[in-house]
Amino acid sequence: MKQNYIYAPNLTSEFKCKVPLQGTRQLFIVNGRVQGGRSPFSLRLEEGEAMEEILQIISVRHKSYKEELSTQQDFHFGKGSVGRIIQCSHTFSPDRFVTTEKVTITVEKDASAEFCIMQNEHNNAEHNTLYEANLAEGASLNMVFLSLHGGIIRNEIVVNLNGSHAQCDLAGLYLTDSRQLMDNNIHLNHLVPYCTSSQLFKGILDDEGVARFYGLIKVAPDAQKTEAYQANHNLLISDKAKAHTKPQLEIYADDVKCSHGATMGRLNEDELFYMRTRGIPAAEARILQQKAFAHEVLEKISNTQLRERMLILVERRLRGEFSHCKNCTNNCC
Amino acid sequence: MNNDNIMLKISGLKVSIDDREILTGVNLEVRPGEVHAIMGPNGSGKSTLSAVLAGNENFKVTEGEVLFEGEDLLKLSPEERSWAGVFLGFQYPIEIPGVTNVNFIKTAINEHRKRKGLPELSAAQFLKLMRERMAYVDMDSSFTSRGVNVGFSGGEKKRNEIFHMAMLEPKLAILDETDSGLDVDALRIVASGINRLKTPQNATIVITHYQRLLDYIVPDYIHVIYKGSIIKSAGRELAREIEQRGYDWLIN
Repeated sequence: MKQNYIYAPNLTSEFKCKVPLQGTRQLFIVNGRVQGGRSPFSLRLEEGEAMEEILQIISVRHKSYKEELSTQQDFHFGKGSVGRIIQCSHTFSPDRFVTTEKVTITVEKDASAEFCIMQNEHNNAEHNTLYEANLAEGASLNMVFLSLHGGIIRNEIVVNLNGSHAQCDLAGLYLTDSRQLMDNNIHLNHLVPYCTSSQLFKGILDDEGVARFYGLIKVAPDAQKTEAYQANHNLLISDKAKAHTKPQLEIYADDVKCSHGATMGRLNEDELFYMRTRGIPAAEARILQQKAFAHEVLEKISNTQLRERMLILVERRLRGEFSHCKNCTNNCC
Repeated sequence: MNNDNIMLKISGLKVSIDDREILTGVNLEVRPGEVHAIMGPNGSGKSTLSAVLAGNENFKVTEGEVLFEGEDLLKLSPEERSWAGVFLGFQYPIEIPGVTNVNFIKTAINEHRKRKGLPELSAAQFLKLMRERMAYVDMDSSFTSRGVNVGFSGGEKKRNEIFHMAMLEPKLAILDETDSGLDVDALRIVASGINRLKTPQNATIVITHYQRLLDYIVPDYIHVIYKGSIIKSAGRELAREIEQRGYDWLIN
């Protein structure tokens, strides 16, 4: 493995992640500069290599550079390799940061990669990401996007299933309030036979928050025996919150299993009444309902310790608090 | 009768939904230690009465009053009624996917304790209490980690209701058609759970369609409700008569 990352817990006085997850190595990127390594960041796993530790990449926008920033990260998972990545992005001040980020992911034959992406930024920040993933035969890619907080967050995710029996599982949870905008734009391209993919994106929208979901599953003419599923569910908490959803299927093969579903809804009143008759106050019952709604996505996080932390962050977020992890003095997870 | 000792006093209660009057004037008094059964044909207003007592906001009280331990019950929110000691066992318990039964009841218990000025139960205390109360209704621990009522059979849902009741120890339990959808074994388990929770200080209102439940839970009083008001109140022998003769002789 190219060791171009280091563990740097005391980067600046204001930037301490005191309790990293067990079995996790941390890498910090401040205003696009990899700390203690070369920029842009790239990671290459050789054939058969299994990353022992999870790599947590913490990208921070700091007020020392307020210009628009374009960054890139590249991940290459060689044949049969196994790797797990956590990507966190934060802003350390409420400045008008604009970040454009491109992430390329190549998963070679029978390799397996797992990403958990946590986006937690201030209301003035705009963060545009493009994920471009290519999967070879028998490769597997699982990604969970947690868009907890941010002025504008746009995730464009393009996945090409280039080899048969490749598998891709995408999940996302987006939480908006005030006037936040969160946008997930997915292109899942089934180019060859016998591949499977699933997408589960859920959003909880409060105040005047807006979410957009566009999800395209494209099945090429030869991609028989494709299995592709997509679901997008939105929970509208306020009268002014908005969700736009556009599920799309383009299928050019005839022997496939594909489905898509999209819903918009409010909190269930019967559930609410039931909980209140047990003595759970209405406000608390609503939080429980929202946690329950988010649960399905958080369950996709395979690392239990990370999942627990994310549950706490999500709950605090739903309570209207900017998501500070209790383990840290700052906003990183 | 000692008037000072009335736990629940319903006087001239009229209730509407969408401008349709469902309860047309209900009067009922319940004292500590008593078990009351409310019977009546479908659509007579039994479930409406229980829903109104629990604070369901879909129903509008147009007249009358309900006093619980001398306080106006109707001005309280559903959660405040729960804290005051009123419990509703649902005819159709609600499924809440994603909220585990254990988290649900733990949240409820601690909210109750908060109102009583008590500290939260420790994990060990809670577990001990939960195990003990689950045994009342023969529930095994696999129920705790599952979503509230999710994937539960009809009988399991009803047992879960009584488990909630056992945890919350209400002063007044209103059990809405707790017997519906139960086979004989489940009915026996549920009924024995209810009986076990009976004390001289608490009271129970069982709402039922059939006399069957009353073989297991012996009421002190039976009330027949029809077209929104109680048309007959008597002792437990009334159940037998209703089983034999139906409701027609009371209605006509």
